[in-house]
Amino acid sequence: MKELTDLTTREASSLLQRGVISSMELTKASLEIIERLEPSIHAFITLTTELALKQARAADLRLKQARQDKSIPLPPLLGIPIVVKDVLCLKGIRCTAGSRILDNFTAPYTASAVQQLLDAGVVILGKTNTDEFAMGSSTENSGFGATKNPWDINRVPGGSSGGSAAAVCARYASLGLGSDTGGSIRQPASFCGLTGLKVTYGRISRYGLIAYGSSLDTVGALARNADDLFLAFKGMAGYDPMDATSSAEPLGDLNLNEQIDIKGLRIGIPKEYFIAGVQAEVNQAVRAAITLLESQGAVVNEVSLPHTAEALPVYYLIAPAEASANLARFDGVRFGLRATQTSMIEMYKQTRGHGFGSEVKRRIMLGTYALSAGYYDAYYGQAQKVRTLIKRDFDAAFQAVDVIAAPVAPSTAFLFGEHTNDPLAMYLEDVFTLPANLAGIPGLAFPTGFDQNNLPIGMQLMGAPYSEGLLLKTCHAYQQMTEHHLKKPALSTLLSTR
Amino acid sequence: MTQYESIIGLETHIQLNTQSKIFCSCKADSWLDAPNSNICPVCTGLPGVLPVLNRKAVEKAMLLASAMQAEIQPVSFFDRKNYFYPDLPKGYQISQYDMPLARGGFIDLPIPDSTGQNTTSYTRRIGITKLHLEEDAGKTKNIGGERQIDFNRCGVPLVEMVTGPDLRTAEEAAHYLFRLRQLLRWIDISEGDMEKGHLRCDANVSIRPVGVDYLNPKTEIKNVNSIDAVRDAISKEIERQIRETEAGQKIEAWTLEWDEDRGILKKMRSKETEADYRYFREPDLLALRIDDAWQNEVVSIQPELPLQRRQRFMNAYQLPEYDADILTSEKKLSDFFETATKAYPGDSKKISNWIMNDLLRILKDRNMQIDQMQLQPADLVEIITMVENGLINTSTGKSLIEKVEDSHQRPSEIVRSENLTRVSDESAIISACKEVLAENPTEVASYKAGKPTLMGWFVGQVMRKTKGKTDPEKAKEIFETLLH
Repeated sequence: MKELTDLTTREASSLLQRGVISSMELTKASLEIIERLEPSIHAFITLTTELALKQARAADLRLKQARQDKSIPLPPLLGIPIVVKDVLCLKGIRCTAGSRILDNFTAPYTASAVQQLLDAGVVILGKTNTDEFAMGSSTENSGFGATKNPWDINRVPGGSSGGSAAAVCARYASLGLGSDTGGSIRQPASFCGLTGLKVTYGRISRYGLIAYGSSLDTVGALARNADDLFLAFKGMAGYDPMDATSSAEPLGDLNLNEQIDIKGLRIGIPKEYFIAGVQAEVNQAVRAAITLLESQGAVVNEVSLPHTAEALPVYYLIAPAEASANLARFDGVRFGLRATQTSMIEMYKQTRGHGFGSEVKRRIMLGTYALSAGYYDAYYGQAQKVRTLIKRDFDAAFQAVDVIAAPVAPSTAFLFGEHTNDPLAMYLEDVFTLPANLAGIPGLAFPTGFDQNNLPIGMQLMGAPYSEGLLLKTCHAYQQMTEHHLKKPALSTLLSTR
Repeated sequence: MTQYESIIGLETHIQLNTQSKIFCSCKADSWLDAPNSNICPVCTGLPGVLPVLNRKAVEKAMLLASAMQAEIQPVSFFDRKNYFYPDLPKGYQISQYDMPLARGGFIDLPIPDSTGQNTTSYTRRIGITKLHLEEDAGKTKNIGGERQIDFNRCGVPLVEMVTGPDLRTAEEAAHYLFRLRQLLRWIDISEGDMEKGHLRCDANVSIRPVGVDYLNPKTEIKNVNSIDAVRDAISKEIERQIRETEAGQKIEAWTLEWDEDRGILKKMRSKETEADYRYFREPDLLALRIDDAWQNEVVSIQPELPLQRRQRFMNAYQLPEYDADILTSEKKLSDFFETATKAYPGDSKKISNWIMNDLLRILKDRNMQIDQMQLQPADLVEIITMVENGLINTSTGKSLIEKVEDSHQRPSEIVRSENLTRVSDESAIISACKEVLAENPTEVASYKAGKPTLMGWFVGQVMRKTKGKTDPEKAKEIFETLLH
């Protein structure tokens, strides 16, 4: 048998339900590998060992009862250890969003998506690292230190869900929860050789997700394959009365265990995504993956998304504008850091001045400016109009094709410090991912090869709203034929000597 | 000397009396509750929370919009109004900005003449420019160098309703608020108590020479929390603006604060330094869509409005304006009157008189609402009918109202059990009459000598003897037989 930590969610679930292994064994195996690798990786902001052991015990009890009484339903995630990005609230556990301003904040409630998984019986190992308030593409903006990429610890894991990506990549868990506002699940999935899903806006409740750009934020997951990701997706999706923007659109009947026929699937290649400046190996790997799908009967056509170039500036007006309001609540009055000052204005200034990192301050200023009287029409107002055009580009494209295939990021994982002095270069990391957020459509990233440095290369499939099933199926078909997703980083070199 | 007229517009904030808050399920009314006892992660703006719109708050706002003849918009939006203040948990208030729930609308305000007799001297149409929904903020108190914040009020639903610059005197502004408060209670969307902050008012005031049509810079008066204070503050401000204009000073667009205790206006800030609220669409809420079906369903429960009913009472029951005004001061009172008058074949004015002279006094004495009374409209009709039929006299009738309240019995039962009817036993009346005649031989002689006017005197004597319970007609009949 495989190492327990190498099991996929599906494999572990099957063994748990048959009583071959226990959730406690699985959880302890996870905690053990975390203990050994975490000093090198630093994927967590907060480890929840006690909670995990308690949940594993409870899961084993449920599993035992269900084995005795067949009428008790067995959710596939029952007893599965997972990691949760530290932007999702979990009652009684510190929740920092990667910011020092929330260093001492304990969430008094649980995010809806997390609660759904808890109800299904998952075991939560800890809260993973993130760029501060999910603003970044490398975890270098975290107030708690950067996470290392298990494929090469001199490189970033991507971001902002870099902690969850590194954790799944390093076999801490088979599933990691993340959030994606402009690429924050797909880009780290790409950098860590994982399969990561950004859902349709509204598909998974945002209640309990610390907001960054409210009209762009989505909760999603990272896994090692599409099948596991499907289990996580199914576990979290659905209408939530606590989120007015959540949708009741049915998931559709999906079974990824069956052989999936992609004959006749119409794949669009957006010419605006295959441009100069993209690493040649990335281009090649993505092209090769498309060719493979084509060889299985998919129909490939070029499509145009004419407003792609505008997506970046539009995103960097809308997301910071919304963030400038979303982050106003971190004022030191009710929770989190509070500077001791006698004057109210000084208290605000000191609290926010010390609590927020420089990227967060930059975006608050950008957003405040974009919304200011006299500038609103030229910036925020105009950005909203162009956002509509970007949406229309996708609507038109999805008349002609079922999915759109493109690179996830212009390059593979970059070195620490490579972009930190150049915010614009960092923003360009999201150039292929943020259009899906602006359009509200789903996007799926998965590995399609490795570059000369043995770093994973990711491809992205985008689909019409609520087509997560189709994206997962297509990816699953690809993963049935390939082994990129099965490759594992050389973790033994990372073992810490105790 | 130049004649000036004042131009006044009012911006009112109306706290809706919904059970729960506008974006979460916390209890909305915290009047009797300890600070920070009706709060949750949503209304205190903890990280990660989202608002969910309370349908009831929308419906109450729709009722007000419909009562003001405003146009309910099929699509409206919520926006974020950004500013920092410790009692504003999210750092922004969820409000409606450029696409409010309702636009337009008006109220025709009857302005009474100065005699105080509630006779309308003219009607002023006050336009409504905008009516929107928003959430309330918390309350801040400064105690002993400490800032104490109560978040209970955060998220209580408010309607902001703004009039055009259509009011011309402080008196009209007071009347507008009086009629608005009456309406809010009438359609049951707010308690409308200014002292408790259910109804808040800011007044925009400017002056101009009579005859011109331009508008001068206006000042805004804030923090006025009673109708009298609004009247006083506006009067003071009009006087000030005239005085300064006459002295050659320019009126600047200040924000003023009314100091209730000292009865003076204080300058809060210049308009130029006002915050930029950086409004933008609230991404956490969907567009508010109100289709015809929903609107019809809500508006169908709208009762006849107070000013309409007031007019109808004048027309249908020939009530004087004064009576109609008082009887329609509250919906329940007007319902009581109307039920009573419909059950009473006689003059409606008689019902009105009994209500205004007796019922209202008793309600006031007992600090009660009309619907808390034992006395039902049918009981009042029964009492009045008994008086009319001579079964009881007027003072007995009036005392019956109190007796119904105390005994919880119907009027006719009380009359029977307490033997309050006039004496109708003929033998008792005959013996009383005989006694009167025996005791007054002189008058009997005069009567017989041709002084028939003494009949009334004889009847009066019997009434006195029987403590008013004798039917005077019956007594007269008996005297005529006895003296024949």
